[in-house]
Amino acid sequence: MTEKVKYIPTIGIECHVQLCTKTKLFSEVDNDARQKSPNSCVSPVDYGLPGMLPRLNKMAVRYAVRAGLALNSEINLQSRFDRKHYFYPDLPKGYQITQLFHPIIGAGYVELPSGSKIRIEHAHLEEDAGKLSHESGDSLVDLNRAGTPLVEIVSMPDIHSAVEAREYTKELWRVMTYAGVTFGDLYNGNMRFDVNISIAPESSDKLGTRAEVKNLNSFRSVERAVEYEIKRQSKLLGKGEKVVQETRGWSDATGETTSQRSKEEAQDYRYMPEPDIPPLNLRPEVVDEERANLPIMPAEYRAKFNDILGSDTVEILLDYRPLMEKLAELDDNKAAKKIANLFSSVLLAEENASLLNDELPSKEQLLDLVAMNEKNELSSTGMKEVFLKFFDPEMHYKDTLTIAKELGVVQENNLEELEKIVDAVLAKPETQQAQADFKAGQEKVIGFLVGQVMKESHGKANPSAVQDILRKKLQ
Amino acid sequence: MEVNQDTISHLAQLSNFALTDDESQRLVKDIKEIVNYISQLDELDTNGVEPTYQVFEMENIWREDEILPQEADREALLSLAKEVKDNQIKVPKVL
Repeated sequence: MTEKVKYIPTIGIECHVQLCTKTKLFSEVDNDARQKSPNSCVSPVDYGLPGMLPRLNKMAVRYAVRAGLALNSEINLQSRFDRKHYFYPDLPKGYQITQLFHPIIGAGYVELPSGSKIRIEHAHLEEDAGKLSHESGDSLVDLNRAGTPLVEIVSMPDIHSAVEAREYTKELWRVMTYAGVTFGDLYNGNMRFDVNISIAPESSDKLGTRAEVKNLNSFRSVERAVEYEIKRQSKLLGKGEKVVQETRGWSDATGETTSQRSKEEAQDYRYMPEPDIPPLNLRPEVVDEERANLPIMPAEYRAKFNDILGSDTVEILLDYRPLMEKLAELDDNKAAKKIANLFSSVLLAEENASLLNDELPSKEQLLDLVAMNEKNELSSTGMKEVFLKFFDPEMHYKDTLTIAKELGVVQENNLEELEKIVDAVLAKPETQQAQADFKAGQEKVIGFLVGQVMKESHGKANPSAVQDILRKKLQ
Repeated sequence: MEVNQDTISHLAQLSNFALTDDESQRLVKDIKEIVNYISQLDELDTNGVEPTYQVFEMENIWREDEILPQEADREALLSLAKEVKDNQIKVPKVL
């Protein structure tokens, strides 16, 4: 029997990020094609009519710089545009304006939640193509998307599993949305992934032949497509066959990749310098300004909060950047822990989902809330109730103490007051049996008695103080 | 640079041109002559010379990110297409 060969997958990912500029990369028309009627956001430049002069969008350059900084990349102050020629109906000009030789973004890296770093080879600015939809016998072309600015991020082949591929794409999405350079709307194709996968025997120091799965638009399909390819390629090699270098398409419905075209003829894009767009030569200040525009990034939040909140909570909250910003704004680790707990258990509970669109409570409201809880003026239940009222349009402008008072959830901590209530409860006929049971050693009965006092106080008594008083009195 | 029938077929394929044999043969001849003419430039030593990206020595030509009304609207642009369906350009099926 032959021993089973172990294969190591090697994966590199190219990601196209649509930038959220107001206008397209080279024309002054609306760049947000979501929910727009076909071909309603087009200009003669997007149509590639002869004699049209593309005019570079300054903001797209700014966003590209910011995206590069978010990728921990070197920014190339000097960069240039090139023409990449190919013939396809989604590209009326017959060439795409891109940056092959002198991209604006140099080498960098993305740090995954696990701490491992995926290196970025480079990233460049280019224009998107139109959208094709297919029906029987025909294809229809919508050019709303043609000319949308893209940053294409090319990773090094540093990824070695399907899970890691998913983590990388998810983290890219986080980094780009935090940087604020894209809407990050995956459903509408704001970020799309091309995944290169090859496998090689563990003992081999050479990479295998790769297949490229194009146009994936969710983290989950990236993971599934990689899983499928690893299995497919292992099977081929196991049978002594070869992996063909080709482009493959992924179907979410079947969970399989299928060959789209094999590169029997090597692509010939006939790159040439783009004469219509003069080179970029950025002032270093542009980079500094964009660095200042960059908010706290996910990796920094992890470094700050993983120890305090636990990485699971941090990963959940990272999906909601305003919540992380608020926690950082508190600038108080102990308070952050309690508030993070309220965020994840109350605010992110399904029934409260609509509150996420509302303005978050102020720093003062939240710090007061934690302080009242620490002073036993608010129970954890009371804290939740007050917290929810921070989102009530009638209440949200009031301070924490006022809201707590109006809700009647401020705990009674005054020992004299509490003793009076306890005495009243102990005098009641219905508590006599419980008192006797407790004295006879039935420890559990204390809960019942505390409950009675809480009821008598309309829930305002501090339960642990009540218990202390009860124990003293029943000795 | 060698220009032959294969070169022309390759270029025709890249550009999606259907050429007759006659056209193809004429193109071999014409393009050969053009390439020969331009090949005179090969005599120059261009080592260390930066490729010419543009001849006006301009840089940072950009515009503000503002939506402007366009001279040609959808109807004008679609009227240039051979076939239109549902406000989209209809083309033979591609995959």
